[in-house]
Amino acid sequence: MGRLIGRLCRKGLGLASMVALVLLLPAVAANAEENTLSKETTACLKCHDKEDLTKTLENKETLSLHVSTSAFIESMHGKTDCEDCHSGLDAKTHGKEKASIASKREYSLSLQGSCRDCHKKDFAKYEDSLHAALVKEGSKEGRKDAPLCADCHNQHTLRSVKILGPIAATPCAKCHEEIFKAYSKDVHGLERVAKGKSAPICANCHQTHDVKAASLGDGIKEACLGCHKEAVKEHKDWLPNAALHFEAISCPVCHAPGAQRRVNLRLYDEVSKRQISEKAGDPLFKKRTDAADLKETGLNELALYNLLKEFNKDGQGHVVLRGRLEVSSGVEAHQLADKSKAIKDCNVCHQAGAQPFQSVVLTIASPDGRPLRHAVQKDILNSMLATQSVKGFYAVGSTRIGLLDNLLIVVFLAGVGGPLVHIVIKWLFRKERRKNGAAAHADSQAQPGDRRADDASK
Amino acid sequence: MDKIYINPLPVRIWHWTNAFGFILLIATGLQLRYLDVIQVMPFQTAVQAHNFVGFVLIANFFLWLGFYLFTDKIKVYHPELSPAKYFMASFRQARFYGYGIFKGEPNPHHASAYRKFNALQSMTYQIIMMLVVPIQFFTGLLLWDVARFSSMVEMFGGVRVVDTVHVIFFIFFTGFIFIHPYLASLSHTPWAHFKAMITGYEEVEDE
Repeated sequence: MGRLIGRLCRKGLGLASMVALVLLLPAVAANAEENTLSKETTACLKCHDKEDLTKTLENKETLSLHVSTSAFIESMHGKTDCEDCHSGLDAKTHGKEKASIASKREYSLSLQGSCRDCHKKDFAKYEDSLHAALVKEGSKEGRKDAPLCADCHNQHTLRSVKILGPIAATPCAKCHEEIFKAYSKDVHGLERVAKGKSAPICANCHQTHDVKAASLGDGIKEACLGCHKEAVKEHKDWLPNAALHFEAISCPVCHAPGAQRRVNLRLYDEVSKRQISEKAGDPLFKKRTDAADLKETGLNELALYNLLKEFNKDGQGHVVLRGRLEVSSGVEAHQLADKSKAIKDCNVCHQAGAQPFQSVVLTIASPDGRPLRHAVQKDILNSMLATQSVKGFYAVGSTRIGLLDNLLIVVFLAGVGGPLVHIVIKWLFRKERRKNGAAAHADSQAQPGDRRADDASK
Repeated sequence: MDKIYINPLPVRIWHWTNAFGFILLIATGLQLRYLDVIQVMPFQTAVQAHNFVGFVLIANFFLWLGFYLFTDKIKVYHPELSPAKYFMASFRQARFYGYGIFKGEPNPHHASAYRKFNALQSMTYQIIMMLVVPIQFFTGLLLWDVARFSSMVEMFGGVRVVDTVHVIFFIFFTGFIFIHPYLASLSHTPWAHFKAMITGYEEVEDE
């Protein structure tokens, strides 16, 4: 009996195994097909999947030639053949003849075209970005650290952006180390670690490829409002002139409570409604600001006025200054605190000597999209002479015009002193008034109908 | 002493609402502008109070305007439409306050129901009510929500320019609230005009 049961069980298990095999076969086959590398790629990886495979470049840098087969298969490029990107290699000579590579940077630059061939849209955005502008500048001024595709994306291991990695794996951290450190401790960084994708990381606010200078234009306010959709409404519930605050103040000014702040006066074209940019190859801004500020004490009212006049001569439209309150550095912009700790105290800004108004800069956008700045004397914010120049920027209390304070004192003294002086003079003339009053009274009795003297001092 | 009904009820309501309103606007305005010197109330409370009182006074202005436009009382501002006479009378009144009053000369102006203001008063009030007050209310409205009225703010030269105008008139009104009661006390008795603005009736000296 026992033997019979054992035989049946074995038969049953065998049957189950057969069924499972039939069912799983297509999945296994599909997986195998997914991971199937072309003959050529397999041949490449046969040599390149060796961790110690390196090449010494002309500048003595060591370039790792290692490509992990498993990591490559799992990467977004897993279905791509090596030749798709490394099309310049000749199979006949590769590995046999010594190829000359100047440096890692030169090698990455030479491969940029391969990225563009497939990622046309993203590459176009990148080409218009601040990063690409720095790369272009690098060719003439020695800026060798501006990011190329390969600096942010490891082509042989890159995974889908849908896969949540540790925050430190974000490529931005490599160059923007201090900012990343600040981010990792701020409300967004902590949330990202705790809750994952619901909290933003660099690319969510700064865009992945069309990275712009955060302090130009409206900065990244739209990114903030993209997630915090109720922010405008919530601010309107308690903040007077909320729309103006949103326009003239960057979010971190209040939401990074420990940050240093400053006034950024931006050259702005009222006709095109855009921030003025320098023309390429003609550094007018530096030339003009340096000429207007020979003592390097910062631009004063007159210098600002003349500067605006000069920019208006260029025929670019109607150039004005637009003020914006912002934090002093990128690090401070990434010290965002929990909402409960945001500044709600109006006193921080709306009184004389308030910290945010102790530093003023004038900004223009450089041709490559970076901000160019020049210091401005902070006193211009309180000067009647600068009313026209900084007509679009005003904070009640803190940027009040000093001359009007003096006028108020004069008018107050006249308002109080005038009546007092009048009373004293009346008192001094009291005897004469009595005498004239008595005479008038006598006259009126002699000539009824005449007016009596007014004597309010009685 | 005769009594004449010189200040109808709507004018008295307008006047005292305006008086207390302007004092509140000046007080809250001082708080807003001089937070570093004065800390009577929180900044935000001062903003809300300033805005609220401002709107009350704008409505009150239209009460005044409506009353004078739709009644014959508008004559109090121009009893005689003669600029030459008007300016001469203003000059005589100014001379009286600056000189004649000390010597005991009679007040050149005698009040009546349609002639309640002296020429100087009438001219000053017209400038204030038809120019200064509307500009003050208008600039105040623009500053109440700068973004909403941004095109108009830009048209008038920007927020700093609009604010400067608002502050210059605020300074004017600050002087006015001292000078106005003092001049009102220069009647045949110090309280006669004050009483008239409360009861409506003014005691005038017999001719």
